[in-house]
Amino acid sequence: MMAKLVVTLVGVAAITWVNWYFLIAGRRSRNS
Amino acid sequence: MTSVVTIPVTGMTCAACSSRVERALQESPGVESANVNLMTSEATVSFSPAATSAETLVAAIRSTGYGAELPVAEHSEHHRHETDDLRLKLALSLVVAVLVMLLPMVVAPSGALRYLLLGLTLPVIGWAGRSFFTRAWQAFRHHSADMNTLIAVGTGTAFGYSAAVTLAAGWFTRHGIPPQVYFEAVVWIIALILLGNHLEARAKGKASEAIRRLIGLRPEEVRVMRDGREVTVPLQTVQVRDEIVVRPGERIPVDGVVLSGRSSVDESMLTGEPVPVEKGPGAAVTGGTLNELGVFHFEATRIGERTVLARIIRLVREAQGTKPPIQKLADRISAVFVPVVISLAIATFVIWFDIGPEPAYLHAMVAGVTVLIIACPCAMGLAVPTAVMVATGRGAGIGVLIKGGDVIELASNADLVLLDKTGTVTEGRPRVEAVHGLKDSTGMLQLAASVEHGSEHPLAQAIVMASQAAGLQLEPVRDFRASPGRGASGLVAGRRVLVGNRQLLLDQGVPLEPVPGETVQRGTVVFVAIDGRVAGWLVIGDPVKPTSSTAVRDLKSMGLEVVMITGDNQATAASVAAEVGIERVFAEVLPEHKRDAVLRFQREGHIVAMVGDGINDAPALAQADVGIAMRGGSDVAIEAGAITLMQNDLTGVPRALLLTRRTLRVIRQNLFWAFIYNLVGIPIAAGVLYPSFGLRLSPAMAAAAMAISSISVITNSLRLRHA
Repeated sequence: MMAKLVVTLVGVAAITWVNWYFLIAGRRSRNS
Repeated sequence: MTSVVTIPVTGMTCAACSSRVERALQESPGVESANVNLMTSEATVSFSPAATSAETLVAAIRSTGYGAELPVAEHSEHHRHETDDLRLKLALSLVVAVLVMLLPMVVAPSGALRYLLLGLTLPVIGWAGRSFFTRAWQAFRHHSADMNTLIAVGTGTAFGYSAAVTLAAGWFTRHGIPPQVYFEAVVWIIALILLGNHLEARAKGKASEAIRRLIGLRPEEVRVMRDGREVTVPLQTVQVRDEIVVRPGERIPVDGVVLSGRSSVDESMLTGEPVPVEKGPGAAVTGGTLNELGVFHFEATRIGERTVLARIIRLVREAQGTKPPIQKLADRISAVFVPVVISLAIATFVIWFDIGPEPAYLHAMVAGVTVLIIACPCAMGLAVPTAVMVATGRGAGIGVLIKGGDVIELASNADLVLLDKTGTVTEGRPRVEAVHGLKDSTGMLQLAASVEHGSEHPLAQAIVMASQAAGLQLEPVRDFRASPGRGASGLVAGRRVLVGNRQLLLDQGVPLEPVPGETVQRGTVVFVAIDGRVAGWLVIGDPVKPTSSTAVRDLKSMGLEVVMITGDNQATAASVAAEVGIERVFAEVLPEHKRDAVLRFQREGHIVAMVGDGINDAPALAQADVGIAMRGGSDVAIEAGAITLMQNDLTGVPRALLLTRRTLRVIRQNLFWAFIYNLVGIPIAAGVLYPSFGLRLSPAMAAAAMAISSISVITNSLRLRHA
């Protein structure tokens, strides 16, 4: 159960990071 | 001052790659514009030489992880080297892929087998597939992601896990996890993607055949008269004004004018027109065309990059790199596509891990990797450029020069064709058919021709020719003034002579004389006024081209509205229109007002294709959504229109429009299939069919599906070669 919770949380964090890194930070670095 | 350089770029495999290189160049200081063509693997950069250099631009491209060399003549050599390298990598991967697939079938699973598979996979991932990883890393550092990212993350995950299982099998077994490896998936994915790249490289080669064919039209050696003797010299050493000898069956090396001799010349390679053209002294010849039976000498007038052939090659090359607006949609989508796919892959992993069957993490990893692999947006990146490239190449082959992808999209949407009459519907080589002097016809013709001698207007030339045919001497003219669309005036032997239409006479306050109706029907009436009084008129006819009515019929059958526009009088315009089957005519329109006519149709909501000869209707051609210039006698037209017809008749117009319509249809089909493929493929890879049907894809199957989708897009585009 614990493993599932950890994987889910890590997964959500990873998705957030991927979208931030490529879309938001990417756009910012391209505009700068 | 601006310099333009074309830099060959290696390693680009998708639209995201080319847009990244393009962006890097655009951000580089001193660059005014940069356009990267995925299909020709070339970057065309305009830059200010004071602020940057070609070397800096090459460095900027390299910083994005792609290869770039300074432009050298041996670009094709360079390209071949890349293809050979790719073929070797593909061969190795395929051999290893078969071995890695067969070995576990004949050898019982053991630690030794796993080590053997690892050993076989290493060169594939470390050498053949290495470029995917380096490019993915470069992209990552620039906060961007492309298909290399998907491949690298997918194969990297599968390989990393399998290598861990091989090296620490004991640990996995102790924890109740079967020591399952996925080397075959890694190798198959790399092999299939390399196969896709290889096929794409071949398609690029085929599409640039059109350009190679044009370049091949230049002979390497030329016979030139030097000091009265005929010598053979390399083409590069030919100078303007050189006298060149052409023997039967030889290609004409450069553009020029025939000095002596006669022959027929096959110009089909440039015009698509199969009937050879007779050439005698004074006739213009074009480099690249084929001499048939006669021998002739000609004087070179244009050499090197200034020849018609060189300009065509340049235009086709530039056109193949331009992007139609529909491409922007594909670019926008692929920019957000990869992060979305990575997110989906992570979500897939989490869901399989949380609610999937045991061993959950194994299924989760396989499903996640499969999502990454199936989503490679190669097909999407290929959808538009392959079609544009093949269509422009095909166009050049049938005498239709299309200046770019944007032109294809606009032309295919055109719903109204505006035809300029003179030189387009008609021959454009007007002839004086009647001279009607109120007192002295010959004297009037002589004065009119003397004035018109200085004008290049086709009607003026007809008058001059008529006077020459009558053996009249021309008088010197002073104070020559041309009024565009009206006529010309000048002082000849102390008399003020006006030659022009009714409007010119009205402007100058000359009282008009009535002209019989049947005269007006026969052609354009040109009035001649001497010292403020009408002396008579000339009737100038311009025969309709034999192919014009067929072309008009074809255009109408394509659902296009056909309108004719001319500076000529109502009666002449109406009779020409009736002859070719056009109902709507605008007559007596001055050249500067032709543009307004185009504008008016555009305001009515029409997408206008304007067809003209590119000389006096250049503003209208530019205003039209699609300017179609007919080369006719002049070479000005090559640059004047968005589409240039090398053949001097109207049938090229339906042919050109049909080609653009077919091309846009192929582009739409390509995009549709590329999207559908992802829309259907990703959920299946994620396992949506598993709960109800137990159906899942393996990563290797996903790689095969991806390769198939790329191949289907390329094949679809190549159909245009026969359009």
